[in-house]
Order: sequence, then structure tokens, then C-alpha cells
Amino acid sequence: MSANVEPLLRLTKVGKLYETGEQVVTGLDGIDLDVNPGDFLAVMGPSGSGKSTLMNILGCLDVPTSGSYTVKGTDVAALSPDELARLRNREIGFVFQVFHLLPRASARKNVELPLLYAGVPRADRGRLAEEALATVGLSDRSRHLSNELSGGQRQRVAIARALVNHPSLLLADEPTGNLDSKTGEEVMAILSRLNAEGVTVVLVTHDPLIARRAHKIVYIVDGRMVTEDEFRKQRG
Amino acid sequence: MNFLEYFSVAFEALRANRMRAALTMLGVVIGVAAVILLVSLGTGTKNYVERQFAGLGSNILIITPGKIETRGGPPIVGPARHKLTTGDATILAKKGYLFSGVAPVVFGSAEVKQSGRSRNVSVLGVTPEFSDVRNLHVEIGSFVTQADVDAKRRVCVVGRTVRKELFGNANALGQIVKLNGARYRVVGIMENKGVSLGIDIDDIVFIPVKTAQDLFDLDSLFEILVAVRNSNDIDSGKALAVSLLFHAHNRHEDFTVTDQRAILSSLFTILDTLTYVLGGIAGISLLVGGIGIMNIMLVTVKERTNEIGIRKAVGARNRDILLQFLFEATALSASGGVIGLVAGAAGAGALRWAFPKMPIEVPLWAVLLSFTFSLFVGIFFGVYPARKAAAMNPIEALRYE
Repeated sequence: MSANVEPLLRLTKVGKLYETGEQVVTGLDGIDLDVNPGDFLAVMGPSGSGKSTLMNILGCLDVPTSGSYTVKGTDVAALSPDELARLRNREIGFVFQVFHLLPRASARKNVELPLLYAGVPRADRGRLAEEALATVGLSDRSRHLSNELSGGQRQRVAIARALVNHPSLLLADEPTGNLDSKTGEEVMAILSRLNAEGVTVVLVTHDPLIARRAHKIVYIVDGRMVTEDEFRKQRG
Repeated sequence: MNFLEYFSVAFEALRANRMRAALTMLGVVIGVAAVILLVSLGTGTKNYVERQFAGLGSNILIITPGKIETRGGPPIVGPARHKLTTGDATILAKKGYLFSGVAPVVFGSAEVKQSGRSRNVSVLGVTPEFSDVRNLHVEIGSFVTQADVDAKRRVCVVGRTVRKELFGNANALGQIVKLNGARYRVVGIMENKGVSLGIDIDDIVFIPVKTAQDLFDLDSLFEILVAVRNSNDIDSGKALAVSLLFHAHNRHEDFTVTDQRAILSSLFTILDTLTYVLGGIAGISLLVGGIGIMNIMLVTVKERTNEIGIRKAVGARNRDILLQFLFEATALSASGGVIGLVAGAAGAGALRWAFPKMPIEVPLWAVLLSFTFSLFVGIFFGVYPARKAAAMNPIEALRYE
């Protein structure tokens, strides 16, 4: 990696505190992380480690309480809610563990959703959505309602939705967590292929077999980044 | 997203829950239909009354003896108080260039008898002009003529009810009846007019005015009716009548000239108020319909928390979410409004069919007002749930199952 390439994402001493009643809980503490264009990064950690918090901050669904997070050089802390929405819309594609599709809408309508908020005209939305569905091999299912699809198909629709606006970053939170190993493998194959085609992928998982598909792994325990050795020690 | 996109998203959501949408709409449907129906009924009543008066002749001035002070205080009774006489009527007829007819009237009641049957009736002493001025005509025979008046003939024209009560199905024309013991010949039978404003026009006996003065031992008149030729001239006709009589009465204004508008306007004020009150009550039901919309929208927002989270995650701004739910609420109330308009108009049509005498009319202002109001109700009661949806935290919304 040459130093003159500006990172896509840069986290500098990022911390996140939560107030729950009287107590203040530390979600994240001093995270320093760069993600460069084309990276395939896995974030590993046990449940409650803070990896979901990190994922929310990376996805601009949440903002840090300390430190700074920049996307393409723009500090997220300075952005209004509308600007954050625009950033999510243009730069980030989400893939969730529980798919998060609109149940009564067709696969195509689901994929069209980010285009709708990007202001793409109706005529182009259909075509772009069909293209994205073709990328994940679901052209023949575009008119099916999402709750008529199998788990693997649903996750592929979610990936198509994440890709349709050609974002800088694909953010996947336990994408195989609700799938059997065979369909999980298919979904991972798609993510690997997309990364090979140039899409930056950040994957959050607790599964080492899944994390191994990434080119780089960071480990999080109790809101802090740790080395692989420390991580193994923690897990016993 | 443009206007149409918000609407298509809203209608898709409503289609997904048809039964709920229909029931929620029903509140607005009933509200709008009630406004339309009740206001139409009120307007119909007013038109009915107006037509009843128009049937009597809307361009009539009524001159009565004595001065009625309309601004309070006891009536001023001058030292030289005059009664209205046939001479006054003659002056009005001769010099009243704006008038098409002057009809002096004597009023009284008498017992009318015919071969053992008797009946108490109202008796009007009239001149031939009365028929045209009041728009009351004979069906069979002839009305009172000028010759009858001049010669004080004992002839009478009877209304339908009087005829039927005294003669049954037998021939009445040319027969003799007794009015307070005196013999009168029936020369005409009035056309059927029915009850108008509480007065049974068919239960009246008309006799020549001078004959009536003899019958009731009067030298004065009950009133003088004046028909103004052109209904635009009512005000100047009124002024003319006042000035003519003022001079005839030695510069005393000891009489009152009223026109029908004066009587009608107070009645119309009452009817208008009634219409507004009915419309207002119906408007309250529209408001209740709006609360129903708010209720269901709050449920919808809660149920679709996850959807809101998804939409926000893929780039919906707060405004997009706000407008989505606001359009949904407005679509509910506007659809309800349109259906309510149709239902209200259909109800008015059904009433018109059931009661053909009642001229029910759906006023355009009520249509526009109730539809606009229903639209406003949707926006007003939709804002709170929509704001709630827009304010949701995307992370918590996504976590919501």
C-alpha cells in the first residue's frame, strides 16, 4: 500500500459512550483504522464486544462521541442528519444478518429503494435494479415478493440492494448468520467476487471461517482493537 | 422523490391493508356525507320556503294601518290617526305608476251555511285585482268582478275545502250559501292551492270588498296589497306608496309599508343559522374521523418501525419518511372525502326521490368546503404520527422486531 493513497475510511481514536440511566457504558474506545479502496476487511469479535457499534459508525447510522471518522476525507461529525442520509445512500451499501427487506414488496422493488431516495427516475430504476439482481444471479426472481424467497435468495436481494447505487463501501453485518453453511458459502462467494471486481467490503462476524475470506482481519474485545494473539487468549 | 412517487408509495401501503384502510376511511366518509346531506337539507328547506313565498308573489308590498316602529319604543299613535280606506286604494291605483295592481283587502271570519251544513271560515273582501296580485285564480266560474264590487253584490268565490265541506260532490256553482245569515251566490271556485305557510288557502271564502265592509260593519280596510310591476323597483315603489299615502293622510305616516323581503330576511336568517349548525355538527363527525386516522397511523408507524429503519439505512431523509406517512394519512382522508361526497350526493338524490316536494339542492360551497376540510383533517391528524416516524433512530428502528 502506498502512503499517498487517501483511505476511503479513516477512524482516528474513535470512541463511543452510551448513557444507560445512571451508568455510562463504553461501546468503543480508541479505535484507529484505515480502510482503503478495494480492501476486504473483516471485523471479528464476540457478541457485546462493540463490533455492532463499530459497524453502525462505519455505516453512518451513528456518529462517534470522541475521535474522528472521515469518509473520503469528509468528517462525519460535521454532517447534518440529511447529509448523513445522503452519504448512506451514495457511499454505503448495507447487508444485514436478518436481511431487512420490505416483506410485502417484490425483490425488484426492494432493490429499487436506494435509487428512489437517490432521485433516479422511475424508468431507470427498473433497469438498474434488474442489472443488480443479475449480478447476484436472481434475474428470474425479480417479481417475487421478498417473503416468498428462501433465506439465501433474500440475502442475495439484500446484496443487490446494497450494490445498486454503486457505493464506495459494502458493509456486511454477519451476512451468513441466518443461513445454512451451503447458502452462506454462496453468499460469501458473491462478496469475494464483488471485492475482486473492485468493491470495498467490510465484514463484521464472529465466525473465524467467514472472517478468513477477508484479506485483513481486525479483532475487537470490549470496545478496543486487539492483536490476534490477545484475541485468542481472550477466547481461551 | 416527487409528489407522484410519494403518492404511489402511500397507495401501495394502503393496498397492503385494505380492510384497515377502508374502516379508517369510513369515519371521513360518514363525516363528509353527513355534511353534504344536512347542508343540502337546510338549503332545500330554505329554497322551499322561498318558493312558497314566490308563489304568493314576491313583488308585493303590504300596507297595513298604524305605524310599526321597528326600532323599539311604543308605537306612536298620532291625534289624527287614519284608517286605511278604499279611497287610499284608489289613490294608489291611480297615481302609482310603478304598480301593476292594487288590492284592498277586508278580513274577517264568518259562519257559512248550506242546507244544514255549516263551517267557520275566513272571509276575504277583495277586488278583481286581488287574483293577479296574490297569484290566486279561479278554476271554475269567475272571480269577484269590478261590477260585483261597485254594486255590493252578494256573490262569493269559495276555496276547494269550503266547496267540498258544504257541497260534497254536488255542483256548487250558482248555488246559494248563507254567510252570517245573509244569502250569497257562489260564482267561482278557486284552484287547489293547499296549505301555504300555515294558512289553508283552500279554506277561504272571497266576497267583494264593499260587500265585506257591510258584512263586518266596517268602513276601513284590513290591508292593501300592492304589486310592483318590476321587482327591481320594490324600494322606489315602497317610497312611492309612502309618499302617496302620506299626503292622503294629511301628512301623517300612520301606516306601514312592508315588502316580503323584510319578512323573508328574518326567516332566512334562522334557516341559514340552522343550516350552519347542522353542517357544524356533521363537521364534528368529520373531526372524529380524523382522530380515527391519527389512531390508525400511530399503529401503522409502530408496526412499520423496521421498514422505517430500512428506508433510513438506504438513504431516506427524515423529510422523506415524514412525507411518506403524511401522504398516507392524506390519501386516506382524501379518498374518504371523495367517497363521502358521492355518498352524500347519492343520499340527497334518494331523499329527493322519496320526498319530491322537498327541493333538496347540494350547494357547491358545501361540496368544496367538506372536501377541503377532509383533506385538511388528514394533514392535521397525519402530522403527529408522521413526525414520530421521521424522528425514529435508524439503529433502534432496525433492531425493532
